[in-house]
Amino acid sequence: MTFRFQIRALSSLARLRHLSVLIVRLRRLNPRRLDFIFDLKSELLHLFLLILLLPRPALAQEFSGYAEAKGFAYAERWDSRDSWGLGWGTLFAKLEGKTGDAQLTGSLRGEWITSDEKGALAFDPADRKIRRSPLSVQDFWMRLPLGPSHDLQLGRFQLGWGKTDGYSPADSFLPRDLTDPFSDEKIPLWALRLSGSNGALRYEAVATALTTPWRLPLLGSRNAPLTAEAVPAGTLFKEVESSPPDVGFSALRLLATFGEWDLGVWGRAGVRPAPLLNFRFDQATPAPSGTVIPVERRYAREEAVGVELSRITGSWVLRGEAAALFSRDHDLGNAVIGALSAEKGFGDGTLLITLAGNAIAPPVDATLLFDRAILPALITAWNRTEEWGDWKLVWTAGLKRGDGLLKAEASYNMTDLWKVTLGGELPYGSTEGPFGALDSARRVHIALRRSW
Amino acid sequence: MFINKLIRNALLGLTVVLMSALSDGDVFAGADARALLKESESRHRTKTQQYAGELTVVNKDGKIRKKGWKSFREGYSGDAKNLIRFTDPPEVKGVGFLSLSRPGGQNPDQWLYLPSMKRERRIATQDRDSSFVGTDFNYEDMEEFDHEKYKVALQGEQTVESQPCYIIEAIPFEKSGKSVYEKKILFLRKDNLYLLREDLYRKGDKEPSKRMILSDLQQIDGHWVARRMEMKELKKGSTTTVLLKEIVFDRPQAAGRFTLQNLNREGGD
Repeated sequence: MTFRFQIRALSSLARLRHLSVLIVRLRRLNPRRLDFIFDLKSELLHLFLLILLLPRPALAQEFSGYAEAKGFAYAERWDSRDSWGLGWGTLFAKLEGKTGDAQLTGSLRGEWITSDEKGALAFDPADRKIRRSPLSVQDFWMRLPLGPSHDLQLGRFQLGWGKTDGYSPADSFLPRDLTDPFSDEKIPLWALRLSGSNGALRYEAVATALTTPWRLPLLGSRNAPLTAEAVPAGTLFKEVESSPPDVGFSALRLLATFGEWDLGVWGRAGVRPAPLLNFRFDQATPAPSGTVIPVERRYAREEAVGVELSRITGSWVLRGEAAALFSRDHDLGNAVIGALSAEKGFGDGTLLITLAGNAIAPPVDATLLFDRAILPALITAWNRTEEWGDWKLVWTAGLKRGDGLLKAEASYNMTDLWKVTLGGELPYGSTEGPFGALDSARRVHIALRRSW
Repeated sequence: MFINKLIRNALLGLTVVLMSALSDGDVFAGADARALLKESESRHRTKTQQYAGELTVVNKDGKIRKKGWKSFREGYSGDAKNLIRFTDPPEVKGVGFLSLSRPGGQNPDQWLYLPSMKRERRIATQDRDSSFVGTDFNYEDMEEFDHEKYKVALQGEQTVESQPCYIIEAIPFEKSGKSVYEKKILFLRKDNLYLLREDLYRKGDKEPSKRMILSDLQQIDGHWVARRMEMKELKKGSTTTVLLKEIVFDRPQAAGRFTLQNLNREGGD
């Protein structure tokens, strides 16, 4: 997913007023609520440690991971700060173990990025800082069986929620890391999940005690260009580290299979992890290279309900999802998002076509609302595993402004453990659209990966 | 209904026994294909089976890829539930496959779990000719042969791998749900009625499109089992060989193993 930011001085000033009101409200509410949250976190930590200390059979372990070196070459530069190339090195290690019926998993990711997108080495176990730390915990969870078909999972893990891979309103509320705006990377959550099944009925309940916010690219960079009519050239945007709310969200999902049909309903309430940006023009300061404008973030509460229906029809799997999202926030507003998709297997591959849209026009420019920015859109994704490796093609067409994104990638398996990947991302079309605005981010990439 | 079925099966069994008594060393001479397949199923039916599979996929250019999976089965043939979990290489580790038989001989429900997506994907019935995770097996090949879904006829006899075999033609009934194949030719070993070879014809093909060969037969826990399973894509020229290890029969399977809940368990069996 990609986004384009537009600054509107008036709406920012309005947002500033809202922020002040919000801060005052939070100050009034905070003491008791924070105590409760800290108590809850402390209790969960104690529970987690207690479970780890329980006498159990010996731990059976498996170690896996990969090392990857990736290089990007860009077609152009957005400004003089951008380079023509970018290097990205990753070392990922995962340890999985079983003790009795309990599953324990931990993983760590180390990274080296040549651009300013990399953050400082910091203790950021919940990914709440603006830039990603070179070292991060991706998994740290335990799953305890509560019965043959019921599990409790707690810790830090990645959540897959919706049914549709192309665009799912049920998945889109989960936090994403847009440091690489084209990678569509989900951020793991600290959460507690209860899931189970009884015959054809399945359920899943999730609660996170902490907001894990979306991570945005550097504002004003080629990955998040700012078109600012009222802002002179050379303006710098200083993102202010803010503390996202200490409450997260909770969600419940029910699924049932009836022959060829799959039916699901879900509900969610809590803090929306995509931030609303406040451009503090009132705090603008002059600098040798231009004006510096601080940018703050705030987070709105949102409630949502959704329904998903899928059916096998011949060789196709057809899906429909609809969600109603409610927020009292003036900048966010309500939304009714629908997605229709059709999926078909071809050989060892899948073609997926998804049409998604929002029936309610947002109160602000949709590009400021992240998960809703690309709507309405037609997404066509085709991937396939071949004897030599695999490839994928993704074409996302923005239907509002006529822009879009073409992604292509092919991987060649040199051995079972070594893989080389070549690919490219081509945003195109109107620079008013979320993809077209990223025309300076057109690039090709090559990656070499060694797995173990 | 049940009584009728019981009587029918008893008569069928009696026929098979009489035929074997009247024959001159040839255990099932003159038997009809259905009776042979029923007897084969009754002999080789096990409550459960589990094994660790070592897969070698060799493409037409001789390039070799290795994979590993763990396989669990409960029931047999038309009432089988299967769970397969890949263990190797890293790119497919954790991929899971669940197949649940449906009543009335319909095609089974099948799902594939992909760890990268953290969710299962349902396999459409007509999608079942897709390659199963880069092997020469497709999704239909992952089902066990259920003779009740086929019109069967004895075609003759032939020696395969030095073993006299019955040749049985099996043509899928349309009412049983669509099959990838137009027909299958089965080679049943005459002495123990174990399937040694299967020639698979895709629709419109005059020659076999694929061939499955089962070899290295051994008796484990009182059951015959082929420890080597080979699937050849004859047109493509590629072959997938599965070596079965750590084979265990009739061990009670964990409750809930053959459920979507279990399929979606990351790191689970």
